[in-house]
Amino acid sequence: MEELFYIFSFIAIFSALMVVIMRNPLTSALYLILCFFALAGLYVMLDMQFLAAMQILVYAGAIMVLVVLVIMLLNISRIKNVKSDLHQKIIGILIALILFIEIIVYIYNGAQKNPTGIFTEALIKKVGNTKIIGQFLFTVYMLPFEIASVLLLVAIVGAYLFAKKKY
Amino acid sequence: MLFGLIADIIKILIVFAGLLMSAAYLTLLERKIAARIQNRMGPMEAGFHGLLQPIADGIKLFFKEDIIPSGANRLLFFLAPIIVVIPALTTFAVIPFGAPVKIMGHIVPLQVADVNIGILFILALTSLGVYGVVLGGWASNSKYSLLGAIRTAAQMISYEIPLVLSIIGVIMIAGDLSLSKIVSEQSNIWFVVYQPVGFIIYLIASTAEMNRVPFDLGEAEGELVAGFHTEYSSMEFAFYFIGEYAQMVVNSAIIVTLFLGGWQGPFLPSVLWFLIKVFFVILIYLWLRWTYPRLRYDELMDLGWKVLLPLALANIVVTGFIMILIKG
Repeated sequence: MEELFYIFSFIAIFSALMVVIMRNPLTSALYLILCFFALAGLYVMLDMQFLAAMQILVYAGAIMVLVVLVIMLLNISRIKNVKSDLHQKIIGILIALILFIEIIVYIYNGAQKNPTGIFTEALIKKVGNTKIIGQFLFTVYMLPFEIASVLLLVAIVGAYLFAKKKY
Repeated sequence: MLFGLIADIIKILIVFAGLLMSAAYLTLLERKIAARIQNRMGPMEAGFHGLLQPIADGIKLFFKEDIIPSGANRLLFFLAPIIVVIPALTTFAVIPFGAPVKIMGHIVPLQVADVNIGILFILALTSLGVYGVVLGGWASNSKYSLLGAIRTAAQMISYEIPLVLSIIGVIMIAGDLSLSKIVSEQSNIWFVVYQPVGFIIYLIASTAEMNRVPFDLGEAEGELVAGFHTEYSSMEFAFYFIGEYAQMVVNSAIIVTLFLGGWQGPFLPSVLWFLIKVFFVILIYLWLRWTYPRLRYDELMDLGWKVLLPLALANIVVTGFIMILIKG
């Protein structure tokens, strides 16, 4: 199992790098899809099959299709003479720094912990984690779940308003 | 352990060989049925009533010159037809095609892998088939191909949502995502009785997902030459064909598993029941193709977003209400 983890994480990191390095936006998008697959593999290894399926169904199957569609519609085959100014550099460096600090914090606090709740590994195997996720979403975490769905609704209405606006 | 491994390998080989063979012979079936509907004979020369026609076609395509258009993205041009075939073949891994059999004291389920998220696995993989079409159209460096690819991508996004929502009713009644559980829940009554609307929505949306007439706007011969595979020839073209027909078999198998009781049936062996049901669903797809004219593009979008999507949502709500009323 450990070898699988290294294979998946190597693919994930390699493809994530290629997304940034590649000049052609479509190739970048394809590497991003590969990255999502590697992440899905990692989720399966963590016994989160539901999350893995959703990762592929939603990100690789729906969102990336839209991204590829937009790239093809605009027909940007190659990014030419990219303009970069000071603002971009400052923001980029800041984000990279914050991410780096986050990683360090995770590594320091990321020692293996034993599960504290009633959900032991045996119980999760028996009931299936999809059922447990469902139960939690509609009981304990009802409010955040509904707020997230309202947020999506607002986004849809907003997109509609923009599309309908006549210039 | 060893027995299980050998059994798995044999099952995988059977599924692969079966799917590829049926994909090849579906081309003949389609031509024969088209001929019937149009009151002609269909292929008659190669073998008895054209039985060797798929093999002849295969040999012809194999020896054809492989033309790559200038300015095409070579790697993607080669990869795209393969991307169509692989999800179609892999999806069949979770579909149970027969009752568990007992061989040498071991119980072998006739299903390559019983995943506990069966339906989601199928939905995730079938949503990937579109990449083959879209990338093929883009990599060809031809305006007709690109137009076909863009149309297909937009169509796929519109029809994916009703497709997923139409299945949710089945999941609610069965109370499980695993396909073997869903089949065993249907031992008394098929889910098509509880979910007639879901069944019809799935049938329509899957036809659109497979790019078949009346939803084949990606290839629309009248306007786009041949759409996304205009520039393809030789084996790559054959791969698109295999992918399309394998998808048809897989979609029929999904419909049989979710709505028509899977492999369950009286008297005959379970595998035979499964094959008979799949065959009838395939016949429906073929029948649709040779009966309806192609939709116009705006009609296609209207049907997806304004008819199928609200219907699918209403179906979920009504199913939920009835389930609560019955259970008290």
